[in-house]
Amino acid sequence: MSIKKAILLRVRIAFMLVFLFSAGILFRIVTIQYVEGEKWKGYAESMGLQVMKVNATRGNIYADDGSLLATSLPFYRLAFDPYLPADELYNPHIDSLCYLLSSYFDDASPMQYRRKIDRARRGRRRYLILNRQEVGYQDKKRMERWPIFREGRLTGGIIFEKVEKRFLPFSHLGYRTIGTVNSDNRGVVGLEYSFNRQLAGENGEALYQRMAGGGWKPVYDGSEVRPKDGYDIQTTINVNLQDVTESALLKHLQKHRADYGVAVLMEVKTGEIKAISNLSRNSKGEYYERYNYAVGSQGAREPGSTFKLASMIALMEDSNIGLNDTVDTGDGVMKFFNETMRDHKPGGYGVLTVKEVFEKSSNIGTAKLITKHFGDNPSRYTDYLKSIGLDKPLGFQMVGEGLPYIKDPTDSTWSGISLPWISHGYELKMTPLQTLTLYNAVANGGKMIQPLIVKAVKKANKNIERYEPKVLNPKICSKETLRKVRLMLEGVVERGTASNIHNEKYKIAGKTGTAKKVENGRYTNAYYTSFAGYFPADKPQYSCIVVIDEPKGYQIYGSDVAAPVFKEIADKIYALETKLHEELPEQRDQYAGIFPLIRSGKHDELKMIANELGISNHSDTEATWVTTDVVNHSVFWENNEPRTERIPDVRGMTLRDALFVLENMGLKVSVEGRGRVATQSLLPGTRFARGTSIKIDLS
Amino acid sequence: MNTIKDWAYRNLKGDPVIWFIVFLLSMLSILVVYSSTGSLAYKRMGGDTEYYLFKHSALVLLSLLAMWIAHKIDYRYYSKLSLVALWLSVPLLLFTWQFGTNINEASRWITIPLINQAFQPSDLAKLALVVTLASMLSRRQKSIADFKKAIIPMLVWIGIICALIAMTNISTAVLLFGTCMLMLFIGRVPMKYLAMLALIGVVAGSAALALGQRAGTALSRIEHFIDSDEVPFQAKQAYIAVATGGLTGKGPGQSDQRNYLPHPYSDFVFAIVLEEYGMFGGLLVLSLYLALLYRGMKAAAQSDRAYGGLLSAGLSFALVMQAMVNMGVAVGLGPITGLPLPLISMGGTSQLFTGLALGIILSVSRGEIDDIGSQVTNSYSKERVKEAA
Repeated sequence: MSIKKAILLRVRIAFMLVFLFSAGILFRIVTIQYVEGEKWKGYAESMGLQVMKVNATRGNIYADDGSLLATSLPFYRLAFDPYLPADELYNPHIDSLCYLLSSYFDDASPMQYRRKIDRARRGRRRYLILNRQEVGYQDKKRMERWPIFREGRLTGGIIFEKVEKRFLPFSHLGYRTIGTVNSDNRGVVGLEYSFNRQLAGENGEALYQRMAGGGWKPVYDGSEVRPKDGYDIQTTINVNLQDVTESALLKHLQKHRADYGVAVLMEVKTGEIKAISNLSRNSKGEYYERYNYAVGSQGAREPGSTFKLASMIALMEDSNIGLNDTVDTGDGVMKFFNETMRDHKPGGYGVLTVKEVFEKSSNIGTAKLITKHFGDNPSRYTDYLKSIGLDKPLGFQMVGEGLPYIKDPTDSTWSGISLPWISHGYELKMTPLQTLTLYNAVANGGKMIQPLIVKAVKKANKNIERYEPKVLNPKICSKETLRKVRLMLEGVVERGTASNIHNEKYKIAGKTGTAKKVENGRYTNAYYTSFAGYFPADKPQYSCIVVIDEPKGYQIYGSDVAAPVFKEIADKIYALETKLHEELPEQRDQYAGIFPLIRSGKHDELKMIANELGISNHSDTEATWVTTDVVNHSVFWENNEPRTERIPDVRGMTLRDALFVLENMGLKVSVEGRGRVATQSLLPGTRFARGTSIKIDLS
Repeated sequence: MNTIKDWAYRNLKGDPVIWFIVFLLSMLSILVVYSSTGSLAYKRMGGDTEYYLFKHSALVLLSLLAMWIAHKIDYRYYSKLSLVALWLSVPLLLFTWQFGTNINEASRWITIPLINQAFQPSDLAKLALVVTLASMLSRRQKSIADFKKAIIPMLVWIGIICALIAMTNISTAVLLFGTCMLMLFIGRVPMKYLAMLALIGVVAGSAALALGQRAGTALSRIEHFIDSDEVPFQAKQAYIAVATGGLTGKGPGQSDQRNYLPHPYSDFVFAIVLEEYGMFGGLLVLSLYLALLYRGMKAAAQSDRAYGGLLSAGLSFALVMQAMVNMGVAVGLGPITGLPLPLISMGGTSQLFTGLALGIILSVSRGEIDDIGSQVTNSYSKERVKEAA
């Protein structure tokens, strides 16, 4: 047989084998369809398969120090299968169960519960929600021990339905800023909404099969899509500062029975928002967080006098007007076309310097300065405002930022009185956060920084996304202008409208604002008061804005209403943060200028100091502890490692090092004097027992 | 119509029946995969059910292109190419075993950088091994009974490749091993050596079970199969699909079981075929594969070289045996494996390798291309010449 023929024969044998196998397949198809057909078809109908959603766990929201602001906790809804428990179980225990239900939920009498359950039992219902109120895990464990319930799901008929609920460990603190979620676990307002995409994660899906007697069990068939848990977000909110801010604001809102109040505290260098509070009054006169006026479009209002800062910057950038140049504000009443402008002081301020115009917040003075300088070319003025960036939204991380509105002469509503009115904060709109950003820029040496509230998106401890402070405008004005406006802002507190918040300990710089509110196109006698500023004025750490809307009673001005809130916040922060305190000078100078004599100490530290100071040093030892020797013109480190059960040599060490070495050896140390160790009471190298006392003298 | 015919005549060389079968199965493939990826698309692609249709169709076209290119090349070239591919696949398999991408708890994939496409080196290794084996067998036909010279090198390659694949994918390894056995049988290796190879297979298999990742799955699946009281979930769903399909099926796109069957577009695609197109559809698919095998065999008969015959036979058997195993699993003729149904399943890059294999079969069927001046070393005629000398 030739090779080819032999191969072909074998190929055919193999083909026959495959053919037989395919006949086997056909045979199986016929078997499944005709012999077992009914069984499988019947099984298909009773199977009860369903693809169900597997919820992803929503991420947490953290404060700047890692404390939890919002997290998801499991809660349970209590339901019951009233038909399931046997009479022997049901009859003797139902009364005590109803009593417990009634006393726990406290919304119906035991009899009412009894009637409700009995009725459902007679109606053979298999599912009854006992109460819609969600119960926590601890309560759930307690309920599992109640009569009937303690027999479990299959005998007692208790059903707990798990619901994930958002839990805010600090309850009301920053409530509106943190935001809320709806029943679908979707953020609806606040950070929960703005960062919903990151927080929510992705729900999964899996195939579930109905179990006999209800309930679903997952079928692990490999097709399930696992839920991806949401990321955490790290905010810049500081819990302590938020608490300080919120309580200060609340106290003053209650005092003035105002409509709403806003307080935002920002770190000057980074633009990080350390606290943000928005409190509105409800019909009962209680304050709660309803709307984010600091950021949102409802908060975009005519800012009033706080805007004079922008006008002054524009004026000083465009001219070399001095702080002591004067302007006549007259008798406090001035007509621009058919509109009358008034100053706060009856009878007027008369002749004021530019500085005084700002410090006393003279509307007429500001308007006169601006119209005199920009009157023939108002667009130069509005161009300045735009070049600072006041007309653009901040691009803040929270969704729904109110848009600023600053018009220019091309606008159809521009009129002859637009320029003088804009100059002191009318005919334009800004949110408190936008105003604050301007003041923060002044505090930050002219660098305008985008406010930041979320620092990072995290998964466990890993950063998924980091948000860095973003510079909106590297230089809003010249150094000279900045120096002048900062002087004026300090002047407002030292002797101007906000002198009531002046104090000796630290300096506040800021500006008051009192704007009349517009209703139906007319200015009314309701006010929108504010104070924006920063502190400490000479080394600004924080900037802050306080807005109080419609204070009732005799106090209606920004200085009386908003500024004290600012002061309260600033005072408390000053007390909390010791780094703001000026150091007492004498402690510092005592050793200044004296080069420390290196005698003995820790090898790597000494080496670092010597290297840092450019002192040539050598060693032939790896020991942790060394003494010094001088070889030629350089330091030589010698081994001074303590030996076991021998007194170590600590002479020449600092107190810190000496204590560390001695106490580690088990010696009791007493100390006298200050400086470095001069003598030690026990001779180095001698043996000792644990607990022996040693005295060291320092000089 | 005539223009298509003309075009086909000019461009599609080789056995027209094989071309026809492949076109038919490809069309069915697109239909079935579109139907069965519905729930997957819903879950993964947010309801974009066309995503997998387009992706799969593109792959079908690409594999047809691969097939077309492969059939243009004289099959004698593949002998050298395959050896290179075989050497290449060893490090690839090792890499995959240790660092591969994990899909469904087995690291069988490596992701090709740049195009970001998952790729199973075992597909490459499988093809390379079959082609190499055909070449080795044909070159040793004269001395096929010489154990040392003829058999050992082949056994070494079979052992290495199967063992490496078994680390991550036992069913593919077992199937490949079976295919190799069949090829050796066809290539006239004496029975006693085949028995020895079977022994090596058992040793290598248990080594893979001890070292590899898939021992647990494989054992539990075999246990499930032997202990037939308890039908596993997947098999149950497949049987329901088969039973409810009836004679003529529920019609294209009407499957219910696609929602419950895991991987209805690959491992259990035959169950979906039976559900939607009934027993008739299933029978058609079955006979198409048999016809394919038959035509591959015919190419073997027509080839005037042992190499061509063994190549065509080996590749056809590799492909059709996998198809048979897949279909057998779907109807409960064997334990559950993760093998796709060639030409029908949605299978990513493995479709390209199927196309390549078919191209090589076609290349054998069209005979030697004259303008290739390659050194003829293993034709029947040459052997005869040598004999004479």
